[in-house]
Amino acid sequence: MSEVMINLRRSPRKLLERDGHPGPGPGQLALILARAGVGKTAFLVDVGLDALLSGQKVLHVSLDSTVERVRTWYDDILMEMLRSEKKLEHASALELEIEKRRHIHTYVGHSFSTERLRDAIALLRDVMHFEPAVILLDDVNADTLTAEKIESVKAVVEEFGAELWMACQTFREGPQAEAGHLPPPADQFEDQVDLAFQLISQDRKVRLHVLKDGSEMLDEDLHILLDPKTQLVTVGYST
Amino acid sequence: MSHEIQRVRNIGISAHIDSGKTTLTERILFYAQKIHAIHDVKGKDGVGATMDHMELERERGITITSASTYLEWKDYHLNVIDTPGHVDFTIEVERALRVLDGAILVLCAVAGVQSQSITVDRQMRRYNVPRIAFINKCDRTGANPQRVARALRDKLNHNAVLMQLPIGLEVDHEGVVDLVEMKAIYFRGDNGETIEEGPIPADLQVEAEAARATLIDAASMFSDDLLEAALEETVTPELIREAVRNGVLSLEMTPVFVGSAYKNKGVQPLLDAVNAYLPSPLDPPIEALDLENDNAAVSLESDPSKQTVVYAFKLEDGRYGQLTFVRVYQGTLAKGDTVYRASTGKKIKIGRLVRIHADDMEDIPRAEAGDIVGLFGIDCHSGETFFGDGPRLAMTSMHVPAAVISLSVTPVDSKAQNNMSKALQRFTKEDPTFRVRLDPESGETIVSGMGELHLEIYVERMKREYKAEVETGAPQVAYREAISQRGEFNYVHKKQTGGSGQYAKVVGYLEPIDEAEYEFIDKIKGGNIPTEYIPACDKGFQAAMEKGRMIGFPVVGIRAVLLDGNSHAVDSSDMAFMVAARSAFRQAFTKARPRILEPVMKVEVEGPGEFQGAIYRTLMQRRGNVLGSTEDGGFARVEAEVPLAEMFGYSTDLRSETQGKAEFTMEFAKYAPAPSEVTKELREKYSGQVAEEDEK
Repeated sequence: MSEVMINLRRSPRKLLERDGHPGPGPGQLALILARAGVGKTAFLVDVGLDALLSGQKVLHVSLDSTVERVRTWYDDILMEMLRSEKKLEHASALELEIEKRRHIHTYVGHSFSTERLRDAIALLRDVMHFEPAVILLDDVNADTLTAEKIESVKAVVEEFGAELWMACQTFREGPQAEAGHLPPPADQFEDQVDLAFQLISQDRKVRLHVLKDGSEMLDEDLHILLDPKTQLVTVGYST
Repeated sequence: MSHEIQRVRNIGISAHIDSGKTTLTERILFYAQKIHAIHDVKGKDGVGATMDHMELERERGITITSASTYLEWKDYHLNVIDTPGHVDFTIEVERALRVLDGAILVLCAVAGVQSQSITVDRQMRRYNVPRIAFINKCDRTGANPQRVARALRDKLNHNAVLMQLPIGLEVDHEGVVDLVEMKAIYFRGDNGETIEEGPIPADLQVEAEAARATLIDAASMFSDDLLEAALEETVTPELIREAVRNGVLSLEMTPVFVGSAYKNKGVQPLLDAVNAYLPSPLDPPIEALDLENDNAAVSLESDPSKQTVVYAFKLEDGRYGQLTFVRVYQGTLAKGDTVYRASTGKKIKIGRLVRIHADDMEDIPRAEAGDIVGLFGIDCHSGETFFGDGPRLAMTSMHVPAAVISLSVTPVDSKAQNNMSKALQRFTKEDPTFRVRLDPESGETIVSGMGELHLEIYVERMKREYKAEVETGAPQVAYREAISQRGEFNYVHKKQTGGSGQYAKVVGYLEPIDEAEYEFIDKIKGGNIPTEYIPACDKGFQAAMEKGRMIGFPVVGIRAVLLDGNSHAVDSSDMAFMVAARSAFRQAFTKARPRILEPVMKVEVEGPGEFQGAIYRTLMQRRGNVLGSTEDGGFARVEAEVPLAEMFGYSTDLRSETQGKAEFTMEFAKYAPAPSEVTKELREKYSGQVAEEDEK
């Protein structure tokens, strides 16, 4: 538990929990689907912050960013969270706590592979005694994803007892979702997805839909409006 | 001055240590006919490269101070600042960056983008310096410029685009393919001074066409004309150059050139690129502060006819006294002119004006906006602004980091004592991150700075340049003390033993603040403390902050609020209120949950992937907080924050844990509360010291 308790009224994950869609659970995958630029990274960072502030350890993996840039994401969104809670004075103490529980791991170029991810997590556990409960996987090139690849990544997170949140970019043009399926390219591996959300940009806000929970396909508007920059729940959200 | 301002280039050469920037500078000077022979760093002839004009630099084979030199290249006027690559000298680099309009980022074709390149690049970004890249050492075994260009994109986020392809690599490196003109360039003659152009070698034709297409593709983002021409297949070299220049000026593109300075390959085309792509003083917007108008920002123009504004960015001890390197930002500076110092408003008459070339100089009558020159006979600190008749303008102050480490220096005899004070006076004027103070208790001279090596270099310079033999104490970490909550005071200072007495009463509180070191607020109502004694209270608090109650280090982050008090018509005095405030501070400080702050460094370690575990271990053992890691092919980079107190001897430790294959950089990150066990240890040590001194 965080030493400095802050009320996470604006965390989308808290609202999902309230609405009967808690996190995916160990060894399972939650997928965030959105078109380019709608704010997948910010959403993942919100999920990360929520877990960190409730005392969990988080491994944030990026395939295209730098440690510095990911850190800035966390710092900026945390500040925004604290500003709206009028608790800015806790910023430095919270940042310190967050840093102890978070590890950012990035890959440059084409260095990523499931085996390498496994080795990296094992090294963190064996040398640093760092065992994440939540693993976030960002900037994955969705075009190259297959059900087999997802299965192997899920096997890795299961081995370490963590839950996996992953962002996946959907196409602006080309084939769109067929009824009862996730939008492409996620339809290629939808059986592997335990929980799926879609971020839909609308009137300078972002709406959150649940597309899949467990084995059930849905298209449920959660009536949650998110700020497009931070993906935090906008104050006074619509119902 | 006869040159047009559009043809002036104030450029820096910035890079990782050992990537060959001194050699490159040497070659540039040679081709511009500024020197008549080439000496290499640590060369066989024992002369050393021309820009490395300090003996110490020669011996170590590194550049410590930035020397400025000017040269002409094809009707363009270049001022070149050679900047050091070691992070311990960041103030030197940052000062140089302040006055530059553009830079060449030198990278090694074998080692690529190393951690120090990243630090240097971050600094350039902070000052919005447009840059072109030169991938040097293409003659070395293992050279791979394409991989380095990719690393520029991946690690530094540059939109790096190859402007050339190497013709042959390693021992076969003989020239470059110019992708703009689509021709081969060879460098003949003993020193590569004869340029021979020819058709692109057949085996490179396909690769060159593909690379040119990539170049046009990237550059057309910055020019609609080029975009159109590309569609119509009417691209000309001029259109490409114009587009690339737009990209460079907007800091959104980094053209990449290749070669080997040591083997005299690719230097002249690089100079052509400086002329073609880097900004002139007219390009970047320049702002000054109006000191008489609440520091309002004032836009300056590189116009010789406007009010003179000149910035001193570097001081050096020359044969004829202090040599002050300045950049003229606006107006004209001529021999005999009178200007004013922005800090004091004092008048100054300009004596000698010179152009500087490493150890040589030439007298000139005047310098105009955009130029970098040297002044003699001016007494000032570096970072000073001089302004001509008109508003009191100062160039924005520079970011000066806090000193994090200190050590005592003791002269061995009285002659050394004399020389040492001369040296220290000079160094503190030259380098704002190097500070000197006298410890009032031990009587020792304490110097402080940005790292072990930073202080080491100055101690050696004292010995060599000033013949001051000194002994140094063990390096000390610069701790700070702070409070973590509000603490109240209510203190009466009363003394009535014979003669006139002393009486003062102060009531109020201290509270922690983040944004400033100290703030004093007077909330006295109804004159309970007469106005004339208020400044004495302020002084008293400040005096108490010089030495904290925990371990005797300075206190920071305090707001002292005075609410009430009392005075006596006869017995109160400035002295009495000062003493009362000092004691009141101590009273409140103890109540305010005081804590020790320690400097924490941002440390980046890079090495082969198989040592990642070992790197983690070395950082964990030093109370490091690992922030993140990056995998890059077979390499791993780990970023951490580590208390400075734990970093002594780290290089030795890291070397032995990684078979010498990992390297690291560090720079100051922040002050953070020391953990309780460290606090306890420090306090025990301090009380031991105090007891020992009491016995004496």
